[in-house]
Amino acid sequence: MNSQSKPCPYEEAVTAAARSGFWSPELSAHRDSCLTCAEFTLVLAALAADAEELAAIDAPLPDPAPIWLRARLASRERDYHRATRAIVWVQRAAVGVVFGIGVAFAPGLWEKLSGAFSGLSFSFSAPDLPRAAGSPLLVLVVSILVLGGLALWELTAAQEN
Amino acid sequence: MDEAAFRHLYDRTARPLRAYLMRSCGDLALADDLLQETYLRMLRSGFEGEDDNHRKNYLYRIATNLLRDHFRRLKPESNEVPERDESPGHDEAVHLRSDVGGAMAELAPRDRQMLWLAYVEGASHQEIAKALGLRTASIRSMLFRARQRLAKQLQARGLRPALEVS
Repeated sequence: MNSQSKPCPYEEAVTAAARSGFWSPELSAHRDSCLTCAEFTLVLAALAADAEELAAIDAPLPDPAPIWLRARLASRERDYHRATRAIVWVQRAAVGVVFGIGVAFAPGLWEKLSGAFSGLSFSFSAPDLPRAAGSPLLVLVVSILVLGGLALWELTAAQEN
Repeated sequence: MDEAAFRHLYDRTARPLRAYLMRSCGDLALADDLLQETYLRMLRSGFEGEDDNHRKNYLYRIATNLLRDHFRRLKPESNEVPERDESPGHDEAVHLRSDVGGAMAELAPRDRQMLWLAYVEGASHQEIAKALGLRTASIRSMLFRARQRLAKQLQARGLRPALEVS
């Protein structure tokens, strides 16, 4: 028998024999004369015995039901995020548009607002009311404020969820 | 995959997979945690697999990645299976088991995983390379060296081929 083991061409045949338990006389003789195959056989037998012992451990396996449940919950959460992703992006876009409009109109806005409000009469006389209520600028400002507020509220609510 | 299919897969694969994890990390409680995480990751990934063997290989790949993450978090010196109990009263079978466990504990985690996948699970070199993130071409020589190291450890514990082979 060699003192130093080297890869052996009989490796596959030895593996098959060790697994099946059937050793031909020729292979058995080879194993006894080959250090590599003797070591290999030892390793195979030891690992097989160890695997058998470990697989037969008395401790019960973890219950698969919670694993399945956790996976389902994770899957639902992922589906929810996927479904609401478009809505969240629209909300973000709405906030961006509101902000952009605000910035674009900011320089002249105050002046025009002052003018619009100065035209309002608080005497509640009937002829003044349609003019103030129908002012396009006021309608735009109020709409922006309401829609922007709603978009912000929706956005923060979605993030909390 | 529906719940019944999952349960079927779990019943078929969980015990040997736990043995692999147990022998690799040396701790039953940790092996159970990693086992659950392995199945959870498989379900989350939505992996269906072509057949049972494909699914089994996928599970072992996830488990090996989890073990790698675990060993990365540990200090090198704590990465060992506890040594065998020398107290009287242990019968021969218990000693043989702990001898193999002790011998495996002397090896690097990658050697342990490689040997287990090759000789217990019967994985091909390609499957081992995939699971361990190595090149297929290097598996043969790495496996040979790991086998030599384990044989040396087993022989140092008094185990000889003639005693083991029936």
